[in-house]
Amino acid sequence: MSWETVVGLEVHVQLLTRTKMFCACSARFGDPPNTNVCPVCLGLPGALPVPNEQAVRLAVRAAYALGCAVHGRSIFARKNYFYPDLPKGYQISQFEEPLATGGALAFVSPERGEMTVRIKRLHLEEDAGKSFHDRVPGMTAVDFNRSGVPLVEIVTDPDLRSPAEARAYLTALKQVLRYVEVSDCNMEEGSLRVDANLSIRPAGASELRTRTEVKNMNSFSGVERALTAERARQIAATERGERIEQRTLLFDAASGEVRPMRSKEESHDYRYFPEPDIPPLVLSEAWLATERSALPELPAARRERFEHSFGLAGPESAVVTATAAIADYFEGFAAKAGAGSGKEAWNWVANDLLGLSGDGETIPLAVERAGEVVQLVKAGKLSRQAAKRVLPELVAASHDTALEVAERLGLLQVSDTGAIDTWVRETLAAHPAEVARYRAGEVKLMGFLVGQVMKRSQGKADPRAVNAALSAALVTTSG
Amino acid sequence: MTDVRAAARDASARIAACEAKGTHAFLAWSEAALLAQAEAMAASPAAGAGALSGEVVAVKDVIADATFPTTCGSRILEGWRSPFEATAVRRLREAGALVAGKTACDEFAMGSSTEWCAFGPARNPVDPSRVPGGSSGGSAAAVAAGAVTMALGSETGGSVRQPAAFCGVVGIKPTYGRVSRYGLVAFGSSLDQIGTFGRDVTSAARLLAAISGRDDRDGTTLDRIPLGEPGPVAASLAGTVIGVPREYFPEGLHAGVHAATRRALERLKDLGAEIRGVSLPHTKYAVPTYYIVAPAEASSNLARYDGVRYGLRDGGASDVRAMYRATRGRGFGAEVRRRILLGTYVLSAGYYDAYYRKAQRVRELIRADFARVFAAGVHALFTPTTPTPAFKFGENLADPIAMYLSDVYVCTANLAWVPALSLPIGRDQGLPIGGQLIGAMEGEGTIVRIAQALEHSLDATAEVR
Amino acid sequence: MSVTRTDVEKIAALAELAVDEATAAELERQLTRILDYVAQLGEVKDDTGVAGDERAARLRRDEIAPDPLHRTPRDIAPAFQGGLFTVPRLGELDRGDDVP
Repeated sequence: MSWETVVGLEVHVQLLTRTKMFCACSARFGDPPNTNVCPVCLGLPGALPVPNEQAVRLAVRAAYALGCAVHGRSIFARKNYFYPDLPKGYQISQFEEPLATGGALAFVSPERGEMTVRIKRLHLEEDAGKSFHDRVPGMTAVDFNRSGVPLVEIVTDPDLRSPAEARAYLTALKQVLRYVEVSDCNMEEGSLRVDANLSIRPAGASELRTRTEVKNMNSFSGVERALTAERARQIAATERGERIEQRTLLFDAASGEVRPMRSKEESHDYRYFPEPDIPPLVLSEAWLATERSALPELPAARRERFEHSFGLAGPESAVVTATAAIADYFEGFAAKAGAGSGKEAWNWVANDLLGLSGDGETIPLAVERAGEVVQLVKAGKLSRQAAKRVLPELVAASHDTALEVAERLGLLQVSDTGAIDTWVRETLAAHPAEVARYRAGEVKLMGFLVGQVMKRSQGKADPRAVNAALSAALVTTSG
Repeated sequence: MTDVRAAARDASARIAACEAKGTHAFLAWSEAALLAQAEAMAASPAAGAGALSGEVVAVKDVIADATFPTTCGSRILEGWRSPFEATAVRRLREAGALVAGKTACDEFAMGSSTEWCAFGPARNPVDPSRVPGGSSGGSAAAVAAGAVTMALGSETGGSVRQPAAFCGVVGIKPTYGRVSRYGLVAFGSSLDQIGTFGRDVTSAARLLAAISGRDDRDGTTLDRIPLGEPGPVAASLAGTVIGVPREYFPEGLHAGVHAATRRALERLKDLGAEIRGVSLPHTKYAVPTYYIVAPAEASSNLARYDGVRYGLRDGGASDVRAMYRATRGRGFGAEVRRRILLGTYVLSAGYYDAYYRKAQRVRELIRADFARVFAAGVHALFTPTTPTPAFKFGENLADPIAMYLSDVYVCTANLAWVPALSLPIGRDQGLPIGGQLIGAMEGEGTIVRIAQALEHSLDATAEVR
Repeated sequence: MSVTRTDVEKIAALAELAVDEATAAELERQLTRILDYVAQLGEVKDDTGVAGDERAARLRRDEIAPDPLHRTPRDIAPAFQGGLFTVPRLGELDRGDDVP
C-alpha cells in the first residue's frame, strides 16, 4: 500500500514591536524575570487591554506579504482556559472574524518543485508567560515578561505532502516575514513556534483522515524529523489495522521520537466569545491601501529582478537574495565595487564574501572596502586566491586599506616586467631539456615552465604576466 | 478655602456614628487614613481649587484604590491591596476629594441585596431589618445614613439605582463608556459602569462630572463631549417630553410604587412636561437576556482568580489543578459560584448559539426599542425603579429567580447602554420608593435636569398612600 | 433544559471550581431552574436583522509607558522564588513542553 502524507502547519511568530499587544510594557526579550509587567499583562483585578497600533500594522504587512485578503473589520475574541502562565485565564485572540484570510505562499518543494501553499488565515493574539519546570524543585515557576507580547498566528490549509516540504515552507515563510521586517522568526529563540497537523491516506485518495497534532519542535530540522517519525508511526499503526486517534504528540529531540502527551487528552472547550473590552478592529480602505503600497519588495520579486538585471540563473539569484540584507549588499556591490558583469559580481559575493558572514545574514565588510580588493585583483596586484586571505584580514583590521593588508601579508603580486623577465630567463636556463622539448612541439610543458617561474618568484608573480613573458621568451630565442 | 482636615474629622465622626448603629456600610475605613489623606491633600494645589474640594467620598469595594484594600466582598481577595488605583478614584482625588473608605457590596457585584457580601451585609438605615439593596448596598447606606454625601458604586444590572431606591437616595448610572472602567473589577464587561450616589441629584451629578471622560487605558470609553457640571434647578419643564413605557407599569404593580409614581408624574405635568405613553416591546426579555450575558462574561472575568499571582491560594494542594479547584471552591461564595457555572454553561460548545449569541441579538432589540422612542421626540422615560420597596433580609435568598426579578426595571438600561437615574419620590409605610428617569445615549444632562426639577417639587419623605 | 449531575461536574471542571456532593445536587436544581427561565429567549423571532457593533477600536501608540505597580510581583505573589511566581507541579495540566 502506498501512502500519501497530508500536513498543515500553524505557525506563531512574535512581532517586532517595542511594546506588548495590549499594554505599554516593553516587549523586549532577555530582561530579568517579572520586570516588564503591569496590571494588564499580570491580569490584576480591574485591568483592561488596549491594542497596539504597530502590532496591527505589522500583522497587516505580514498578511499582504502572504497574499491574504485583509478584512477592514475584524474582532478580538477570548479563548478561555486555565494554565499558570495565562494570567487572565483567557488569551485574547481572534476567532470567527480574523484579520486576514485566503493567502498563498510560493516556494520550492524538494519533491514537487515550484508550488504554492494556501494560507487559510492570519490573526493577531497575545503570548502567554513562560513556565519553567526545572528552576524550583517540585514546582513550576513563571515569568510574565513574555505575557502579552504580540503574536500573529498563520495557518495553512493541509497542502503540504511531506516532512521535507513542510521544512521548505517554513524556510520560505521565515524569509518572507524577515524581508518585510515583521518578526525575527527565530525558532531557537522562541520568536517562531510551530504546531504541525499530520494525517495519512492511501495514495490517490482525496478524503482527509484523522490527524494528530505534533508540538514541541525547536528547529526547522526538528520539524522535519518529528513529522518523519509521526508519519512512520501512523503508517505502521494503520498497516497493523489500528485506528489513528486524534491526539497531541510531543517531539523529543534527543530521541527523535514523538510520544503522546502525558496528561489524558481532553478536547478543549475554549468557549470563544467576542472580547467585550475591545471594540471591533476597523481599518479604513485608505489606511490599508497605504500599508499595501508601502510593502517592501518580497523575496520572489527580488529574485526575479536580479535574474533580469544581473543576468543570473534562478538558483544563483536565490543565493544572493536569501535575506534582504544580503540582497541589499549585492546590489551595492554590483554598483560600486567595479567587479564588472553581474555574474562576476555574483562570483565575488557568493564565493568570497558570503563566507565572511558569521550569522549567514549580514556581510561584515563594507562594499567600498571589498571593492578595494576587487580593484587589486583586476589590476593584477593580487591573485584571486590571495584575495581570499586578504578579505577576512580586512574585516578584522578595520582601519587598514586592502593594499596595506596585502602588503603586510606579503601577498602582493609582482607584475614588474623586469623582475619577471629575470625569473623567466633563470627558469629557461635551469631547464634546457624542457625548453627544447617545448620548442619541439610538446606545448603542454608550458604549464610546467609557468609553475617553475612561479616557484622561483615564491608565488608572487602575476601568472598572466608570467605567461606572456614566457611565451615571448620561448618564441624569440631559437636554438 | 476649604479646610480639608476639618472635612476629614467631620466625615470621620459621621462615619463612626453610622457604623455604631450597626449599618455596616463600610468594609474598611479609619480616621487615621482620612486624616493622612487630608494632610497629603492640604499640601497639594487641588485642595482649594478642585471641583470636589472638601468632599469625602465612599467607594464601593469593587473599585481599586491606593488607601484601602479592595476585596470585592469576597474571601478570594480578602486583604488584597491593589498596586494601582482606578482612574475614577484618581480623578476624584485630583478634584480635591478624599476617599472615606470602601463600602460593602455583594460579592464581585453579583447580587441585589448585599447579602452575598462575604464579610457581612450592610443594613438599610431607614429600616435595619431590611436590605439596602445591591450590589452597591454599602455605598447607598453610607449616603442614606449621612456618613457621606456622595459615594461611588457600580452597575452591571441596576446595582446603583436599585439600592438608591431602597435607601431613599439618588443614584446615577451613566452612559456605557462615560466613566473609565480601568480599576473597576470586572463582572460583566459589556455592562459594567461606575455610578454615583448622592444625598441629592446635584451631589450625584457633580461626582459623576468629576470622574467622567475618556481614558486611554479603557478602550470602551467615549471619545466625545465630556459631561458638564449640573446647572441650576429648572423652574419649568415646558417643552420636555416624558415617555411612560407601559411595560413598566403592569397590572398588579405594588400599590405603594404605583401611588408614588403617579404622584411624581402629576408633579412632572405640573412643571409643564408633556407625558406620553410609549412602548418598549422587548422589555420582558431583559432579565433573561441579562442573566445570560452577565454570567457569561463573569465566568471569563473571574477566571483570573486562580491563586497563582495574587489573592487567596489554597496552600495544601499537591498540584496546580487541585490548587485551582480548592482555591476557587473555598474563595467564591454561593451566588458567584452559581453565576460562574451558569456563564460557563451558556458559553460552552453546543450551547453558545442558543444562549449567548441569541442573548446578544435580543439585546440589540432592547437597545433599538429605546432608540426608536427617543428618536420619536421623547427626552426621557419615567418608570418605577424597583417593583417593590426594600425587602427583608433572607426573603429572596432561597430562589435565585426571585432575587433576579427585583432588577426588572433597571437592567434594561444596562443592556441598552443608556444613562439612567433613580431619585426618591416618596415613602410607603416608611419605606423609600424610587422613581427612575432613563435618557438617550449620552443624555445624562437631560435626565439630571428633569430629576433636579422633580426633586425640587416634591417631598421625597412624604407617605404616598 | 435539564441540567444533569454530569453536566454540573463537567462545567465545574471547565471552571476549575471544586463542588461537593450537596452543592452539586443543589446546583443541578438551581441551574435547571435558571436555564428554564432564560430559555424564553427562544420565543424571540424578530432578531434576524439586528445591527452589529458599530464602534471602532482605539489603538495605542507603540511607546513604552507601563502603568507602574505600586507593589511589586514579589509583594503580591502568594509564592515567589528566584524572581519567579511559583505554583505546585503541573500534574494533570502538564503539556510536556520542554523548556530550557
